[in-house]
Amino acid sequence: MNFAQLLNGIAFGSLLMILSSGLAMIYGLRGVTNFSHGALYMAGAYLAYSVSANFSFWLALVVAPAVLAVLGAVLELVFFRRLQHRSHIEVGLVTFGVAMVLERVIVLIWGERTLAVAPPAGLGGTTSVFGVDYPSYRLLIIGFAVVLAVGLTWWLRASRLGLHIRAASRDGQTAQILGINADRVSLVVVCLGAALAGLAGALAAPYVSVDPGMGVAILINVLIVVVIGGAGSIAGAMTAGMALGVVQTLGAVWLPSVAVLVPYAALVAVLLWRPAGLFGRQA
Amino acid sequence: MSTLAVAEPEVVAGPSKTGLHRRLVLRGLAIAVVAAVAGLAVPYVVPDRYTMGLLLDGVILALLALGIGFLARHLGLISLGHTAFFGGAAYALAIATQQWGWGPLPAALFGLAVGTGLAVLMGLLVVRASGMGFLMLTLALGQALYQFCVQTVARPWTGAYDGLQVHVEPGQAVFGMPMDDVMNAALFWPVVWIALVAAAVVLWLLGRARFGIVLEGIRENEERMRFSGFGTFRPRLAAFVVSGAVAALGGVLFALNAAYVSPDVLGFLKAGDSLIAAIVGGLGSLAGPVVGALAYVWAQAEFNSSGNLQLYTGVALVVVLVFLPGGITGVFGKLRRRFWRRGGK
Repeated sequence: MNFAQLLNGIAFGSLLMILSSGLAMIYGLRGVTNFSHGALYMAGAYLAYSVSANFSFWLALVVAPAVLAVLGAVLELVFFRRLQHRSHIEVGLVTFGVAMVLERVIVLIWGERTLAVAPPAGLGGTTSVFGVDYPSYRLLIIGFAVVLAVGLTWWLRASRLGLHIRAASRDGQTAQILGINADRVSLVVVCLGAALAGLAGALAAPYVSVDPGMGVAILINVLIVVVIGGAGSIAGAMTAGMALGVVQTLGAVWLPSVAVLVPYAALVAVLLWRPAGLFGRQA
Repeated sequence: MSTLAVAEPEVVAGPSKTGLHRRLVLRGLAIAVVAAVAGLAVPYVVPDRYTMGLLLDGVILALLALGIGFLARHLGLISLGHTAFFGGAAYALAIATQQWGWGPLPAALFGLAVGTGLAVLMGLLVVRASGMGFLMLTLALGQALYQFCVQTVARPWTGAYDGLQVHVEPGQAVFGMPMDDVMNAALFWPVVWIALVAAAVVLWLLGRARFGIVLEGIRENEERMRFSGFGTFRPRLAAFVVSGAVAALGGVLFALNAAYVSPDVLGFLKAGDSLIAAIVGGLGSLAGPVVGALAYVWAQAEFNSSGNLQLYTGVALVVVLVFLPGGITGVFGKLRRRFWRRGGK
């Protein structure tokens, strides 16, 4: 049924949206492409496995982002702040190393095997959407992404801290001259970005299989989404994430042999047409 | 703050050393001849087959890392797509021998040509980008080739995940060696070693020549180079193709020696390995990527049994980037300079 496949695309797009907005926030503020974002997502999924096995899945949705926010603080304080005078590529490559370490540590803790996380009670069945029976849990993911997208956009537009974040992303030095505490802003942003990765991982845990390869697999997708959306543009990342999720999922059904190439082709096409990405500010 | 179109300053670039004059060239060639001859003694010094195999793997990875290092040193561009040329050349060789029945030598030349051709194609698309945009584009195109090769559509040619055997009729020889000898690390060593030295010499000469000076100008300030009347697209493309050809040479030698090609040679992990090897060794000098590749292969063999290779590699990458931006060879260079200064006083 095509409508169910469209919903599948939206569910996958929702995950990409949450992940990409976190990555785009960090990129916008620190200029660093965080290659460890996939590993943070993976950590969120494994934490969700342990917490939901011992307590409840709902608690996992709180614990995973909280733990990942702490990891984000470590990233910011230990690497990003200390290395801010270095080239962005070098700092990006540092996060590449961090990702390798983090992934291995996760495997050392949880093992190599694939883990399954059950959806929370009451969401294991299906719900009828416009006459189509669809897994309830995937609807929860979509709902979460919508709430987050609206909330995040509103928070960035309406709150004082959001204003400071937008200012610091646009021009860090000027923002600092105007009295914005750039260190505090970037700490908040990196923690929030990492927490969003953890949340996406926890949300994904009952939806995908939790295995040691999940971080790298999604990272490439998310990087592509952020670059297509426009470096640092959160709205762009959200739009591109949803679009790519839908296109990729539908493509996998219709043209399975070509679908895997779609993200790469999209990336190349967009960058040739608009080097700064769809929503990026042209330099 | 920064967007993709803005060129980011690169710290990875080494000190500027350009300009060719006859004495320098002669000295460089003399060093190369000594290195080539000294290297030929390796199979006699290294007794066991296992270590010899490791060294051979290291030198083949070094060719890939050398290509990546050339681009990083002269243009400040970090590529994650060079596995496309390495793997593309290896696949082309395997396809030519197995499916078209070519002899190993024509197939090797064909592999080199295909790898270089892929570098031209990718180069046309990516060399205008810089910084993170370049990294992402090369990553994406390399991944696209990988994904294509493992698809069921490509199975008749590439064998998808099963890979491809390099099949040579008995009696056919390459570089005067039958195929069994090519697969023996000690016997194949001279070919690979001389290829590495030759590639290093070519890259060194190019880097020191006028071409290298132009590249350095582009790296430092592309806009100014354009205003000074230099076309910057063609030198960038040429540098990309040269570094891709070196990677393709590595791929050809890899396929001959292993007699088997699997999708691993095209994958993201291989791209990461070679880039990490080049960084840990040091992007600032020609020797850096070679040292890094040998160290990487050694470390891989040493730590793989514990299963924590990835952990140590990650730690090494972080430590080198944070504390030793010049890599292993950078440290030696610094020590040497300090020693000379003290000696001079």
